[in-house]
Amino acid sequence: MSDMSDIRPLRHIRATVLTQAWAGAFTTRLLADMGAEVIQVESLNRIDPWRGGYPPRLSGTYPNRDPGERPFDRNAAFNSVNTGKKAITLDLNHSEAMDAFLELVSISDIVAENFSGRVLPNLGLEYPVLRSVNPGVILLRMPAYGVSGPYANYMGNGGTIEPMSGITSLLGYEGGPPMNSGVMHTDPFAGLMGMAGLMIALHHRARTGRGQEIDLSQQETSISLIPDHIMAYTMTGKAPQRRGNLSDHMAPHNNYRCKGDDSWVAITVRSEEEWKRFCAVIGKSELASDPRFHDLSARLDNIEELDRIVSEWTRNKDAYDVANSLQSQSVPSAPVLKAAELLHNPQLKARGFFQTLEREDTGPLPYAGPAWRLSETPGKLGGPPPGLGQHSEEVLRDLLGMSQSAIDDLVQRAITGDTPPTD
Amino acid sequence: MTPNRALSDLRVVDLSNGIAGAFCSKLFADFGADVIKAEPPSGDPTRSLGPFPDGASDPNASGMFIYLNANKRGVTLELKSERGRSVAADLMAKADVIVDSFVLGTMERMGLGYDTIQKTNPAAIMVSITPFGQTGPWRDWQATELVEYAASGLSYVNGSPDREPLKEPGFESSYQAGASGFLGAMTALARRDFTGRGQRVEISIQEAAAATFAPQFLGAMHSGESPGRGSTPLLPCKDGYVSLNVRHDATWEYMWLFFDAPEIAQDTRFATAAERRRRADELEELLLPYLAKYTMEELFHGLAPLRLLIGMTLAVEQLVDDPHLRERGFFASSPHPTAGEIVMPGAPFRMSETPWSFDSPAPTIGQHNDEIFAELGLNPGELARLREEGDV
Repeated sequence: MSDMSDIRPLRHIRATVLTQAWAGAFTTRLLADMGAEVIQVESLNRIDPWRGGYPPRLSGTYPNRDPGERPFDRNAAFNSVNTGKKAITLDLNHSEAMDAFLELVSISDIVAENFSGRVLPNLGLEYPVLRSVNPGVILLRMPAYGVSGPYANYMGNGGTIEPMSGITSLLGYEGGPPMNSGVMHTDPFAGLMGMAGLMIALHHRARTGRGQEIDLSQQETSISLIPDHIMAYTMTGKAPQRRGNLSDHMAPHNNYRCKGDDSWVAITVRSEEEWKRFCAVIGKSELASDPRFHDLSARLDNIEELDRIVSEWTRNKDAYDVANSLQSQSVPSAPVLKAAELLHNPQLKARGFFQTLEREDTGPLPYAGPAWRLSETPGKLGGPPPGLGQHSEEVLRDLLGMSQSAIDDLVQRAITGDTPPTD
Repeated sequence: MTPNRALSDLRVVDLSNGIAGAFCSKLFADFGADVIKAEPPSGDPTRSLGPFPDGASDPNASGMFIYLNANKRGVTLELKSERGRSVAADLMAKADVIVDSFVLGTMERMGLGYDTIQKTNPAAIMVSITPFGQTGPWRDWQATELVEYAASGLSYVNGSPDREPLKEPGFESSYQAGASGFLGAMTALARRDFTGRGQRVEISIQEAAAATFAPQFLGAMHSGESPGRGSTPLLPCKDGYVSLNVRHDATWEYMWLFFDAPEIAQDTRFATAAERRRRADELEELLLPYLAKYTMEELFHGLAPLRLLIGMTLAVEQLVDDPHLRERGFFASSPHPTAGEIVMPGAPFRMSETPWSFDSPAPTIGQHNDEIFAELGLNPGELARLREEGDV
């Protein structure tokens, strides 16, 4: 804590967190990225589901597809959103564990969780209880539907929150059924908003000494991603429709097939000047004055024919070549990157977006960096993701002053430890 | 009594155009900061985005502008004129946080770069949000939401395997970038509390979006394979689609009790979660006739209390009427002088001590010019000259 060479902005902050899976874990990863000491508390009987279960479930992604002896330390899902944290195990059904947890709360600035609404009250850990051991503590709760209201106790995850937010009803091809997204993207946005709540609360506390409780509904942060569609309905009374990639303001505006295995390029034309430059790049300057395409409304009226002409041009070209030739004339375009291709993207690479972190049992791997760069701080991720219970003894001994014999007793009774019982 | 506003000690000057910078400064404004939104005299580009009341275009009635800029004060500045730039410099000298969306070199050429500002205001935090960041071979590349989404990895996985990848509805990467800019500024403010000094915050919209794709990226590094297009399936019911995930064996039994077919829970082909995952197609076939008997609401209110993971595919018109959101008071309503009463998304989270609130509607073009220029100490004569010469 007193290391003056560490100039990361939150190095003075400690968080004791029950966050799990994606949304909550992403919030607390951002805290750790910024230098906070984040102590993630799991139970051996209920490890973070993103550790992938034990024995491993089919859905886990392990290095070289090998779950290894400790699969729960090797799951890409968990490891990606828990860098730089300390992981301890405490079975809160035991009073000794609960005492230790509340002792941690008493020396923490932040407590965070993203269980369904009923879990924290069931554990007896509502805000007044936390405040009684630490009057300045900040509590972030981020259940699927928030802390109040008729759905408060319902469970949710990205696959159910997205349809409950209206996004799913808007995602899909024209005339086709609604679709969920390929990833549960509403989770990391809730995660960003959770971090926003914490930073506002820390700012307030630094000025007043007062903590507070933050109630974040992942359904509501997800609805915040479509204000334009909400207002299109509330301002005009017309229900918005699924329209694939179609835009009212731009044409062309689509992902077009390129040479190679399921390869695509994004192309958008924002103005009549860009349309002329686009026509020149594809070697069809005559299209600019073609009555079917001469202005935006004509192009929207003939969008199928337009998309066909653009596809014809892209189909046998490399996606990067297409983007390069259009960007050379300032027409917005980029290849549609696959997950593994991000590593080799020249822009992300040149900027050092991915940072290498090493765990003994996974070897060195690239991790996505934080999305903001501060000029005065090194911008280095805090450290590799923690193994299950990796820091239990360190935290119980060094932070709480527990004796080795007391720790051994907790380990023996499986109240803490580093290996879960098999499912 | 005025409500307790968490960020009321902060002044933010937003010189950005577009959605990402406006969302960044919106988070400041909605929690109490004094945010000055500077626009060119012709107005911010989001003023032409709509939606508009009854569909009729009006720069002072654009829904997106009104949503993004409530609680801010508005000033017009012509940054192409020397006088306009000098007023901008005066505003920046008194700001805690400055937000811009120019590529590297533009602010410097205008004499408004960080190095210059730092001399008059060393405590200032300057947040620059650009499509691909200030460095690297793509730093001057042009982008739109569709292009950012493609370049972040998020588009490729959306849609049908045999068709083109889809971007999300709306402007998600802009909100991801705006939120990241806010967080960069807030963490820099936390650092400033100790040092008294500001710093630069740099945001690449591509990176802000790609950072949210971290689990899929690391998975691809683990397995060597990128996930393709596909998603949690939606199952048709009587009046729509539900997303339904039966993860635990106990909830599997509860579901068949609800459907009044407890014998199916005993079918050995579907006895465990692993079996059900393996036979997902068979399971769907088995479920569809039961789902077809019920509406989305009947299924949701029947199964969610039994601890099943279930979601209704709500359309926007159902969402604004949703009883849960109504009871929580999520949708906010802002009376706006030109656009009228608009219902829009409200607080992104509830803070027990320092609430979010709508205090004032988004400014019309140049609405607070006189007030803000007077605060800078300009007299009415100088103001008149600025106006005559097109500097504001």
